[in-house]
Amino acid sequence: MNTKSKLTKLLALLFAFTLLATSCGSSSDGESTAAPAADNASEEDNDDVELTQGDDLLEQIIARGTLNCGVASVSIGFAVADSNGVFQGFDADWCRATAAAILGDANAVNIVPLTAAERFTAVQTGEVDLLHRNTTWTQSRDSDVGMDFGPTTYFDGQQLMARVGDGFTPNSGVADLDGAVICTNAGTTTEKNIAEAAILAGVEITLNTFEDFDIVTQNFIDGGCDVITTDGSGLVGRKAEQQPADQEWAIFPGQPISKEPLGPTYGQNQSRFADAVNWTVYAMLIADEYGVNQDNVDDFLGAEAELGRLLGGEGEVQTAMGLNADAFYQAISQMGSYSDLWKRHLAPLGLQLEGSANDLWTNGGLMYPPPAR
Amino acid sequence: MSVEAQLEAAAKDLLAATKAADAVRPDEPSLSLRPWMRKNLFSSISSVILTVVFAAISIFAYRGVLNFIFSEERRWDAIRVNLRALFTFAYPESQYIRIWVTLGIVLMLTGLSMGLMKSIGQGFSIKRISMWFLSSGSAIIGGLILREPSVLKHPDGTPVLDENLQVIRESFSAAMGDRVWWWLGGLVALGIGLGLWFGFGELRRRTTFIAAIPLTLGFIGMFISTVWWFKWGHYGTNTAGDIIIEPGRTVAATTKGPWTVMWFVLVFAYIAGRAVFTTKRAATARASLGLAWLLAPFMTFFVILRDPALDWSHVWSTHIPMALAFIIGGGLVLWALTNPNIGEIGRLIAIVLITLALFHWVAGFFGWYPMLQKARISFLLLGLAGASAHNFAGDARQRSRMVWGWVGLMVIVHYLATMINTASTLEVNGEFAGGFVVTLYIAAFTMTFSLPLGVMLALGRTSTMPLFRILSTTYIELVRGIPFITILFFFAVFVNFFLPEGMELAKLAAAGIGFSLFGAAYLAENVRGGLQAIQRGQYEASDALGLTTVQRTSFIVLPQALQVSIPPLVGGAIGTFKETSLLSIVGIIDFTRVANSSIPGQTEFVGVKREGLLFISLIYWIGAYSMSKYSQRLEKQLGVGER
Repeated sequence: MNTKSKLTKLLALLFAFTLLATSCGSSSDGESTAAPAADNASEEDNDDVELTQGDDLLEQIIARGTLNCGVASVSIGFAVADSNGVFQGFDADWCRATAAAILGDANAVNIVPLTAAERFTAVQTGEVDLLHRNTTWTQSRDSDVGMDFGPTTYFDGQQLMARVGDGFTPNSGVADLDGAVICTNAGTTTEKNIAEAAILAGVEITLNTFEDFDIVTQNFIDGGCDVITTDGSGLVGRKAEQQPADQEWAIFPGQPISKEPLGPTYGQNQSRFADAVNWTVYAMLIADEYGVNQDNVDDFLGAEAELGRLLGGEGEVQTAMGLNADAFYQAISQMGSYSDLWKRHLAPLGLQLEGSANDLWTNGGLMYPPPAR
Repeated sequence: MSVEAQLEAAAKDLLAATKAADAVRPDEPSLSLRPWMRKNLFSSISSVILTVVFAAISIFAYRGVLNFIFSEERRWDAIRVNLRALFTFAYPESQYIRIWVTLGIVLMLTGLSMGLMKSIGQGFSIKRISMWFLSSGSAIIGGLILREPSVLKHPDGTPVLDENLQVIRESFSAAMGDRVWWWLGGLVALGIGLGLWFGFGELRRRTTFIAAIPLTLGFIGMFISTVWWFKWGHYGTNTAGDIIIEPGRTVAATTKGPWTVMWFVLVFAYIAGRAVFTTKRAATARASLGLAWLLAPFMTFFVILRDPALDWSHVWSTHIPMALAFIIGGGLVLWALTNPNIGEIGRLIAIVLITLALFHWVAGFFGWYPMLQKARISFLLLGLAGASAHNFAGDARQRSRMVWGWVGLMVIVHYLATMINTASTLEVNGEFAGGFVVTLYIAAFTMTFSLPLGVMLALGRTSTMPLFRILSTTYIELVRGIPFITILFFFAVFVNFFLPEGMELAKLAAAGIGFSLFGAAYLAENVRGGLQAIQRGQYEASDALGLTTVQRTSFIVLPQALQVSIPPLVGGAIGTFKETSLLSIVGIIDFTRVANSSIPGQTEFVGVKREGLLFISLIYWIGAYSMSKYSQRLEKQLGVGER
């Protein structure tokens, strides 16, 4: 071996270790290349998030500047992608209203479509901060699954739909179903509810399940099913859009066979975030109590008492919650009141607010927001 | 006549007959209609029955499909309004130029590849082209007669109903009158077909050929030109989000312009490829084109479509110095290691490098000290390159080749890692991509990653080293024994539970990894088939030449094995392309999901599902069919199956 090759070897080793030193010195963040679209804030931001992780979710969201909100990937009128790929609907607008209240901007929201199987996992892993995703408030979800539930934004309930030509009317009941072929979509509680209701009423039914409700409805139109069943909100929409000219459909019974209170859902033990979400809902309901809506909210800015406090006149109530004083003014002016949301997304499907369970308590409904003071 | 003479005569007859058959087959005169039908359709009683039965079935099926497509119940406007959602989902309209640039790059590469391909056969004969026109013309006219008459409608578009609430159809003659434009189209096609058939003589129509690619480009051009004069209709949404439906207009200018440009890009790229094809540089051009195809999915998806928000001060202070350190340092190390005289100490350095690289990964796992992931990857690559450096030892030219290869690899790795790791400026709904873009991205991602992984697994499984063999066999058999949908659910839904603290995989990335890992196991088996087709002599010859194992594998065995495996590999690629539709089950908004869920959920189009499914089937079919055509061509070109 000559001196030259020895020199080369030495050089090589030297470089190997210089490399090590360079890369250690210049890299202080542990971000991973394997996570292309994961949260990739710059180094400094990463440190901030580290510090607050496990702390208050509300502060994390304000620091992050966007709210991650889970919706159903398809639920007619509640959340569905429009032809531009943007999620629209009653639930999607609740997400936007919450973002407007917390961050002051209804567009500072990342609306994440979730399947029924993923929704709770997404909250647990922190992929989303909350769900506005047709999630029924049940005992086991509230306790065992580790979720917390906010105020119900939509009181739904399972109903049935059948052809008037087969002798069904809006006054029919489960007892009239003897011998009927009932169809619904597979893997949901609707299947169990109708089976239980039939046993209680002592009638024999044939239950057919299909992959999704589009197929169920198509079978109903073609005569393969006598009766179809799902949540009332879904049936009304189907009747309005898909009833053929030569058929007439009736929805019954007047009193649904199950209770489906749907509202915001979030992880346990995040009281400050929960307060912000819940009071966004309450504020939009209280606005309806005073007849305030998106168009006229500016006229009420100097209002007295409860409405004045709510719209930020004396903002201490909101600032004490960790929100801006005008948080709920922002929600209402950008997204509207509860009835505005209804008019925008549910009224076109034929769902009536007046006289339903979702009307205000002053009109005989179940919506009873606590006082803002 | 003696027996021998008889035998001889028989043999002579046979030889003559074979020769005649060989001579005739390529140029067999086409029979006129009646003898052709008698020979092929009505040769015996049973064939008459079969012909009649299946002709009836085909006619009924054709009629059913036409009635379905043209039924007054069909809501094709749902597809037209939702074209954007189907193909690009929520990608912002203001950034559409990025999509066009991406498509332009893909078409440019396609055009260049087509230009650089060796031509196979002579193209399409006039006879064949004339048959196409004749059959499409008769299909159109047959369809006009078979399709049921249209439903009578009120001026507002609602159907007229009789007293039993049934729709009323117009009379047959009125229906034929309404379809006058279709008649015209069918007759023109028939006329062109007949003109070509009789305009050229019997011999000339069989021996005149038109090159396949220019003809195809011409047809595509003709179709694209229709956007300028045919009233496809103006469908879409305005800025307020209201749906616009104006059937009496040509498509929007934002569609016309870019598509025309795209056609020209394709044609000019083809001409350029053709020009290079005749020069001496064709082989180099083909190799660089292959590299460009490999990089294109990443460049277009992560850089062009994703638009990373780079922090330039960080780039200058960290990313570029680090890349330079690896390029220069690693280059020098490899230059030293490829010295043929380095001897034992080279091996020692390689071992040190690999140990160092592995130590970084272990340290990263336990979080002992922070280091950028791409630095760990680069160290590992350097270790691997160092370990294989002795295979590339030689004179200065050979050594510099290895060093330049390293420089290129580092530039690509560092560039892409930086881009992928920077947040996008365009994210909507958690992902910025949806619809057909996702379908294509996952398919490209899977094909790019499962090929090297699958080749490694196949080599591992056929290796003589027990550890590699057992590990590879276990992996392959384990993955092949699990249903794909299970793996996909694991990756899309639960994988984030198992990752180290602070690391999070986007759903799309996780699904892409799941697809690649699954695809690799099947691909490995296909490649293993190719490896087993290599004759023993090849191994012995390489040993006799004194090649090392790495040299033998990469220069002798793999090229032949991969060539043999092309048909199953393309089959796998087509399978992957179609399997991407499973993404819709795990909640990723891919092409299928938009058609199957989003459109039927929109208030205007509640329950409108069949139209969307039919439409996406067509698009999937176009993709799969063109891939399969391409593989047939590749097989012919490489002579696989003709040995």
